[in-house]
Amino acid sequence: MKLRALSVMKHGGLWLLIVLTVLPVYFIAANSLKSPLGFATSTIAWPRTLNWSNYAAAWERVNTPIANTVVIVLLSIVFILLFAAMSAYAFAKLRFPLRNALFLLVFSLLLIPGFLTLIPLYLQIKKLGLSDTYWALVLPYIAGGQAFSIFVLKTFFEQLSNELFEAARIDGAGSPVIFTAIVLPLSVPICTTVGIMNINSLWNDYLLPSLVLNQAHQTLTLALVAFEGSSTTQGLIDYGAMMAAYVVASVPLLILFAFLMRNFVEGIASGSIKM
Amino acid sequence: MRLKARTAMALTGYAFILPTFVFLIWFMYYPVYQALSGAFTYWDGFNPPAFIGLDNFRRMLSDDVLGQSTINALIWVAFAVLLAVLPSFLVAELIFHVRKSRWQYVYRTIFVLPIVIPMVVTILLWRFVYQGDGAINQLFALFGLEHWQQLWLGDPDIALYAIIFMGVPWINPFNLLIFYAGLQSIPKEVIEAAKLDGATGWRRVLRLDIPLSLPQFRLIVILTLIGSLQNIIPPLVMTGGGPGYSTYVPILHMYNVSTVNGEFGYGMAIALVIFVVILAFTIVNMRLVKSDA
Repeated sequence: MKLRALSVMKHGGLWLLIVLTVLPVYFIAANSLKSPLGFATSTIAWPRTLNWSNYAAAWERVNTPIANTVVIVLLSIVFILLFAAMSAYAFAKLRFPLRNALFLLVFSLLLIPGFLTLIPLYLQIKKLGLSDTYWALVLPYIAGGQAFSIFVLKTFFEQLSNELFEAARIDGAGSPVIFTAIVLPLSVPICTTVGIMNINSLWNDYLLPSLVLNQAHQTLTLALVAFEGSSTTQGLIDYGAMMAAYVVASVPLLILFAFLMRNFVEGIASGSIKM
Repeated sequence: MRLKARTAMALTGYAFILPTFVFLIWFMYYPVYQALSGAFTYWDGFNPPAFIGLDNFRRMLSDDVLGQSTINALIWVAFAVLLAVLPSFLVAELIFHVRKSRWQYVYRTIFVLPIVIPMVVTILLWRFVYQGDGAINQLFALFGLEHWQQLWLGDPDIALYAIIFMGVPWINPFNLLIFYAGLQSIPKEVIEAAKLDGATGWRRVLRLDIPLSLPQFRLIVILTLIGSLQNIIPPLVMTGGGPGYSTYVPILHMYNVSTVNGEFGYGMAIALVIFVVILAFTIVNMRLVKSDA
């Protein structure tokens, strides 16, 4: 009997915390469906009539930024993973002079916080004439993703048995063939986990984009912050559309995590990725 | 022949790491070099930096804004550590003690789900909730508590705390998963032995779970120290550092000194000092992690 009461308390406590955790989600969803009048009446209550036109207004403003962000993130991820996998394979399975020293040089970058390079990067991008292009973000992102990704992938590649590689080598396969035919296919799951970690941080980046992009190339985070400042219907801020934009902004990652949540949770929980 | 094969492998190795290093030299090592050397220069971003020795660091000592920023950062770090550890550990404990593993998985997933919301959205939402006519003040009005209403982000005595305490109930998915994994790794025999000694319920948490989770606590405390020192987007987006300098933090000062005033040398000097502080925490962390293993 006492056990039962305890169990109810545990579940009750958890559900109370869940309610508090999802309260912001309710708040955004409820207000994204309110007309300006409904909004002025209360920002807490559920709307009486559902004003779906907010979503059309929001989409009009965030579709270009979303497309920009998707292009930038995808381009970055492909090259981060490709280059990182190549380096990780070389560090894990090939022998060459200065191998450990070079790995240490990469590894040491994990100690460099983003704010230290932010301003020099901004100046360099300006000097290279890359401002207001996708490359202004893609090139620094490729560099920024290397250390962490190489570190995780190298640990994974080291666990692959050498016999597999020896057998392929005896069959006359060179390193490029081994890499594309054996290493890459085997590393799809780990690359997925590393990819999600990278996507999550790039999708949320705000500081570097705020310094190097104009409005035409605006990323999603910039557009969301700028929304309140500039979206006006008859001089009033269209809060309903703003909240709808917040919902739309969360959908891409929601889709991604719907497919890959297990991957993400297991990845952290198993301790394979400790930052 | 063997020498030739070895040379071939070495060349392949260099070819495989070449793309990484091209990018690292271009967009990591060179900017790091610029930041470190720029700290000792007068640098406006157009003319070549002029070496001025330690002048930037001397200036920091008499910079009142930096002083205020540092105090704010210390307050923020202290609360950030508490908020990073307590709620997440509590939830990890609750989930871990749920009987059915199916429910454990469901709860874990629900609490991790909010990571799909972009951080900027959370920040903007709270800025909105804190407004004069925002949800919090509306809620107080609903219950007749008008005298509790505040200008949450407009009052210099409150604004910093409003920013620190946004995100109720402060459950961090990453920390939750780390704590949960730590609890899971406690050996069955240890738990059984503790049960025989009468350590159940709260006593078990205090005597068993917390001591055995110390590595997780340490990891999260240090990561939070490092992370919260760098977190400038909330004040940048919510208050711009204001009102006055009440929500300024050192890196926001660096950002504004560099991008608004164009004093890149001074900005880099501030960045260098914070970098050294963070590096010290990181090295302590690595030492501790190594001693665990």
